[in-house]
Amino acid sequence: MLRKREKKEDSTKGVSIRAGLMVVFVAAVTLTATTFIQSHYLQKGIKQEASLRAQSELEGARSDIMDIVNQAEAAVRNSLWIAQWCLSQTDSLFRVPQRVVLDNPVVVGSTMALVPDYNSKYPLYAPYAVRNLVNGKVQILSLATEEYDYPSQEWFLLALEDTEGYWSEPYFDIGGGDQYMTTYSMPVKDRNGNVAAVLTADVSLDWLTSVVTDIKLYPNATSTIVSRDGNTLVMAGGTPLEGEKYQTYSIPVERTGWTLSLSVPEKDLFANVRQAGYLVRLLQLLGLVMLVFILRVLTKNLIRLHTLNEQKERMQSELRIGHDIQMSMVPKTFPPFPDRKDLDFAAVIIPAKEVGGDLYDYYIRDGLLFFCIGDVSGKGVPAAMVMTVTHTLFRAVSSHETSPARIVSVMNTSLTQSNESEMFVTFFIGVLNLASGHLQYCNAGHNPPLWLANDIKKLPVEPNLPLGVEDEFSFQEQEICLRYDDALFLYTDGLTEAENASAQLFGEERVQEVLHKRRNSMEHLKAMEEAVDQFVGEAPQSDDLTMLFIHYLGGEQHLVLHNDVQEISKLADFVDSIAEENQLDPSLAMSLNLALEEAVTNVVLYAYPKGTDGVVDITARLADGSLEFVISDSGIPFDPTAAPKADTTLSVQERPIGGLGIYLVREIMDDVHYERVDGKNRLSISKRV
Amino acid sequence: MNITIEKENGVVTAQLEGRLDTPASLEVAPTMESLHDDAGGTVILDCKKLEYISSSGLRLFLSLRKAAVNKGGTVIIRGISNDIRQVFVMTGFLNLFQIED
Repeated sequence: MLRKREKKEDSTKGVSIRAGLMVVFVAAVTLTATTFIQSHYLQKGIKQEASLRAQSELEGARSDIMDIVNQAEAAVRNSLWIAQWCLSQTDSLFRVPQRVVLDNPVVVGSTMALVPDYNSKYPLYAPYAVRNLVNGKVQILSLATEEYDYPSQEWFLLALEDTEGYWSEPYFDIGGGDQYMTTYSMPVKDRNGNVAAVLTADVSLDWLTSVVTDIKLYPNATSTIVSRDGNTLVMAGGTPLEGEKYQTYSIPVERTGWTLSLSVPEKDLFANVRQAGYLVRLLQLLGLVMLVFILRVLTKNLIRLHTLNEQKERMQSELRIGHDIQMSMVPKTFPPFPDRKDLDFAAVIIPAKEVGGDLYDYYIRDGLLFFCIGDVSGKGVPAAMVMTVTHTLFRAVSSHETSPARIVSVMNTSLTQSNESEMFVTFFIGVLNLASGHLQYCNAGHNPPLWLANDIKKLPVEPNLPLGVEDEFSFQEQEICLRYDDALFLYTDGLTEAENASAQLFGEERVQEVLHKRRNSMEHLKAMEEAVDQFVGEAPQSDDLTMLFIHYLGGEQHLVLHNDVQEISKLADFVDSIAEENQLDPSLAMSLNLALEEAVTNVVLYAYPKGTDGVVDITARLADGSLEFVISDSGIPFDPTAAPKADTTLSVQERPIGGLGIYLVREIMDDVHYERVDGKNRLSISKRV
Repeated sequence: MNITIEKENGVVTAQLEGRLDTPASLEVAPTMESLHDDAGGTVILDCKKLEYISSSGLRLFLSLRKAAVNKGGTVIIRGISNDIRQVFVMTGFLNLFQIED
């Protein structure tokens, strides 16, 4: 059983853990998906924003470059007319580049290179003005050297074909300024429109560095300017790393054929997002851990609840079993004594909870009906246990004792000594002599039973303490005599204190109202139950309800005789059976027989006219210690008590033959009473026995 | 109820046996009345075995006694039980008869 339960708990635990893991898994997936989508759109937004910013930065940089380019180009263009003019005066030709350099600070060097063989005197002629970087003075050099061979240089060749001017690929100038430079070249045409020379302006690329270095959008971004041929002119910021993802924004620089680019590593771009992402993930993880923790606690509680429910169910089933055991202890076969004509008995117990503290019991021993009713203080299991003990005690003690007070005393002593729960029992016990109707009883603090005789009254009770209160208490016993057709109604306060929804009590008046109509015992209890049910309505039963109904039909015997003298012989057996039942002295029995015979003979012989059939009804009942015979007939009215009393002192001659019959009846019986009721002669004769 | 009558030396002894209730009295009335013829002498009613007597039985005894008084005879009642003696006491019959144990 225990192992089975553990197994069950384990499986419950397993199910809970699986359910918990599922919840955590779903939560994790949902959170991750949400974060992913959020981060995706965030990155997209950031990229767009970064693109806009980069574009604007690059445009700014480009405009800086264009400024220089324009200045350089302007320097060349503005000198074209002088160059044209100087073509014819070779000696002053050097002044053209000199002027270009002098007038334009952005130009570090300039040459005016004649197309080979244009001047017959100087087949190669290229004066070169260059600004000394140290002192700023402009020197004039010549590029027309064997080693340099300017006509084969790119800036020269390509400029001849391009009337719009040509920006050379950047190069490292060794002779001029020992720096990176680029050259803008434009053809110079003579008056005839023939290309006669190329005028150039060298621009240092050092300033480009400062232009790109100024682009400081992201700490690890790389700004570059790439030439037409793909050579990197300038690079600022970090060197691009292998394996790193970059966002690259580019913008062309017109005329030069350069491309201005900005490469931003994504880790820069998304630095904040990533940081926020870490934080979010950390929070999510924390949340999941908390979720796991909460689930653990919840699961534990659920298991505990489940276990508690199981325990509760088990307890309820045990209470039901307890109820069954309790019910099996009290006798409940009705009618309990089907063969007895002198007793109509019924009892019922309706526990408020599964087990209750009410009890009743009854049995017959040696012609005595032992019965009891009790109510243990409190309800539920403890009350039921005390009830069980009380019941057992009643059975044990009453099996060898007939005095209610003594039975109750022994029970009280035992209950008081073992009473650790301080519970007490209100108890009523009665011992009824079924033959005589003599009832001995003792009431230990119980509500007095109702005695149904001609009217309904409370049984007079001594104010004894309930059982289990005081060890040495002396219980007072009482007695009454029940007459034929008397009844006792015993109940616990669950009846009178039954409460309806508006907190009204059923009360004694309602009890008496129900009892007023005469019924048999079972019908009485049923009627009472129905009345209580109707009164209480939907309100829950607050206390145990126990009822006993004892309808006494003993102490009375009947005999019917016809108006035939021979019938009188039957009286002997009739009186004998009564005497035997009531253990009467044989002499007394004979006297009673004699009195009855005299009374009955009178009726048999004289009540009915000769030849007519008539009946004499004889009832014998023992009540209040008296044996009473009632002789009734529907013959002619006749009062035997009206006859004069016989004189027993007369002499033989004087004594009349008759008249002794009624005289004997009077002599033997204590009371003789005649009445004419409902057209019947009714002679009642009784004697204390 | 049974009555056995014996005559010896002019003394008539009637032995009564059983219950002398009303029906029995009616039944034995002729037998008892036959004893009136012997009422001039001594009639002994032996009641050792008489269990019960009612007023109708007593009437039979009384009429025998009246006959004896008229004829100058004697009626002796012998061996009545205590219970029947009580009835004799109540009715004053104890004084009317000669009672022997």
